[in-house]
Amino acid sequence: MAVRREKAERLADEELMPLVGRKDPEAFEVLYDRHGGAAYSLAYRIVGDRAAAEEVTQEAFISVWRSGARFDAARGSVRSWLLSVVRNRAIDFLRSRAAKAPKLDFDDESALEQRPAEERTEEEALRRETAAELRGALGKLPDPQAKVIELAYFGGFSHSEIARILGLPMGTVKGRMRLGLEKIRGEMAEGLA
Amino acid sequence: MSASDHGRWSDELAAYALGALERDEADAFERHLAGCERCREELRWLQPAVQTLPESVERTEPPPQLRESLMAAVRAEARQARERTEPAAPRRSRGWLLKPAAGLAVVALLVAGAVGYEVGKDGAGNGGGTTVERQVGGIDVKMVQEGNSGTLQLAGVPQLPPDKVLEAWVEREGKVEAVPALFVPDRHGKAEARIADMSDVSTVMVTEEPRGGSDQPTGEPIVAMAVPQ
Ligand SMILES: [Zn+2]
Repeated sequence: MAVRREKAERLADEELMPLVGRKDPEAFEVLYDRHGGAAYSLAYRIVGDRAAAEEVTQEAFISVWRSGARFDAARGSVRSWLLSVVRNRAIDFLRSRAAKAPKLDFDDESALEQRPAEERTEEEALRRETAAELRGALGKLPDPQAKVIELAYFGGFSHSEIARILGLPMGTVKGRMRLGLEKIRGEMAEGLA
Repeated sequence: MSASDHGRWSDELAAYALGALERDEADAFERHLAGCERCREELRWLQPAVQTLPESVERTEPPPQLRESLMAAVRAEARQARERTEPAAPRRSRGWLLKPAAGLAVVALLVAGAVGYEVGKDGAGNGGGTTVERQVGGIDVKMVQEGNSGTLQLAGVPQLPPDKVLEAWVEREGKVEAVPALFVPDRHGKAEARIADMSDVSTVMVTEEPRGGSDQPTGEPIVAMAVPQ
């Protein structure tokens, strides 16, 4: 085991993936040790509590373990792929938690069905506006652009939901997303120059 | 794809990269993307900006038991996969843990095989009683262990089709064994199975099986829980 682990440690992520696809636990362990911290941090940032972040990270890594063979190196790094799996799981978790939130005691069934989405919208958006400390690339953006990107990427809201939350036309929301991403990208390119 | 068409879609690009298009909008955009080199190029340019977002998150250390339970689950599956591919290995149900459990109503609602692992001492102080408790894909799982035996308590289990039952399994020294316990959730979604012999058990699992039970699991577990030794 130790020998296999040492061998796996010398491999790049892209070389580990085929081994993970062949169900090699040591390769998977190395992958977790490299990216588990970032994955858990991202999950925590999205779902906002530790137990849920743990569940989300676990599910994400299990799905990577089971579908390792599906990783496509042409589409980016293993780390980005892995973090996008975590992000999607975390967003799914937020949505299902909202759907399970305690509902008011209405007799009207249609009212019951409509509530979860609205609850999620209001509570999540509020939590994101008040609690989220915008760091790194996002922190350098003008507030209106940072806010739409925050709500989309970390809140899992669609552009039309964001338009409703912020009371803006959809075109404005999409425009701000574009401007914000362009700005982050521009800074990255400058940093490289 | 005409050039004028492109103008309309290029507005969607950032929203798509951020995962902020609705499902049908994303599908439509992907159809355009397939035929529009300009959009593909712009997307390639913007993608690193999106990829930097998860990296800008404040670091929070994951709890060590996350790694432990993850590796326990992974090693168990690797062992099963090896046994399946080695012809000399004793006969075992094909596809255990890995086969897509198509058509199983319960499984479809759950994250199949997610493994929980969280230890707390039993508050009742029953001399060495251990309770492991965990939420797995919407099901509350509680494993109460006392001495050599244990009780698996589930809450929030979706209703089963009438021809199905739940069956409990244990993994003991790398081998999956049926627990002589078939059970069904009550109408509140609660279900309980008694496991008489917990010695050397590393994982407790529950699958949905045809009425009467099976000798080997036939689908993915709806619950799998690592048990502290
Ligand atoms: Zn285009």
